[in-house]
Amino acid sequence: MLQAHSWPWNYVWVAPNVFLLALAVLLCQRGAWRRLPAFVAFAFLSAAGDLAVFAADVVPSVTPLTFWRISWLHLLVASLLKFLVIGEIFSRVFSSYPALSKLSRIVVSGFGAALVLAAAWIAAFGGGDSPLRLISGFHLLEQTVFLVECGLIVFVFLLAAYFRLSWDRFAFGVTLGLGISACEQLAAWAVVANASPSSHGRVLLAFLNMATYHAAVMIWIYYLLIPRKVVAKPAIPFPEHNLDLWNRELERLLQQ
Amino acid sequence: MTLAVVLVIAAIVALVLILRITISGRLQVADGSLTQPLQPVDLEAFQNLVDPAETAYLRQRLVSAEFRRVQRQRLRAMAGYLEIAGRNAAALIIIGQRALTSDDAQTIEAARRLVENALLLRRNTAFALIRIRIALAFPNAGPAAVGFLSGYEKLSAAAMLLGRLQQPGVPVRLSAS
Repeated sequence: MLQAHSWPWNYVWVAPNVFLLALAVLLCQRGAWRRLPAFVAFAFLSAAGDLAVFAADVVPSVTPLTFWRISWLHLLVASLLKFLVIGEIFSRVFSSYPALSKLSRIVVSGFGAALVLAAAWIAAFGGGDSPLRLISGFHLLEQTVFLVECGLIVFVFLLAAYFRLSWDRFAFGVTLGLGISACEQLAAWAVVANASPSSHGRVLLAFLNMATYHAAVMIWIYYLLIPRKVVAKPAIPFPEHNLDLWNRELERLLQQ
Repeated sequence: MTLAVVLVIAAIVALVLILRITISGRLQVADGSLTQPLQPVDLEAFQNLVDPAETAYLRQRLVSAEFRRVQRQRLRAMAGYLEIAGRNAAALIIIGQRALTSDDAQTIEAARRLVENALLLRRNTAFALIRIRIALAFPNAGPAAVGFLSGYEKLSAAAMLLGRLQQPGVPVRLSAS
């Protein structure tokens, strides 16, 4: 059942892209593209690109060389858009706090540059899994892109968690979906590019990649389309006793 | 193969981190209460610890090895205070962000100021803690946590203002009775 070009294979390849295209259309209809322009562009172009790769895979007249060229183009465009989406999320989470916006920009830029260098260094160590540079280079680039993406998303999560920042629903949903997908795909492409798995192993990893991407698309649909239940959140009262103790220490300083 | 294993482990660690932050973060918001209570910070004692005159006095009175030992103990105590202040700041960020959804403009402004001050303090405590960890290796160099005090005072004032606006019936003591 878990074979290339089987029914499940075609489903997990095509369905998430169709859902993602539908999500992009609905976001445009609701005017949400103004809030997440990079994500909407990613949804349109990435889904269309992946469907083009699928078509190139199943249409007999497409040569293997053309298939890999289309795959390369899709990878480059989708990767660029994903980094724009991460930048957009970053801006939504941090830019409303003047105390953090400048510092966080510097820190994330520095961390991003370090990640790119580290990922390039790791890719240089990977010998590649195919004698054809077009294929081995594609696998190494996938590994590199997901390594940088995964690192950036974890960093944004850690920074926001450290400062206890509240996320808006859109940014949180997009980041969670991207993060889960990036972590799984990093592991899968690392195995493909460096551990020379068998043909069946590659098919299973491709299934895992596509199924995880499907799950990520479902997460995006849930967070971007389904409205949050409006529950009146009571203000958190100051813990009187603790604040009193805390104030007492402050008074001692003020009275000096 | 080794590279693949390292990257797979890194990916698993990253996934666990993301899921853990997601679950713990959401529980914190849904819970509606503070997971950690505010803890008092003895600012007077902290002021003594960061006082350059105290450090200079100790440097004069103690032999070099003894000074380094004492200075390391003072740095650890400073780190302890800063960690408590950082946790207090985190708790106040949560309180302030929740108060930002209030209907009252004055409360929103007070909450915004509280969040901003608390973020600054949390940022500064993080930097001060890094500097203290470095200073633990080189105790002869002076620690730099002095700027922390003014930030803490601003944060306390902002917290008190929001506390008064949210709970006008509960007096928040500013002066000793």
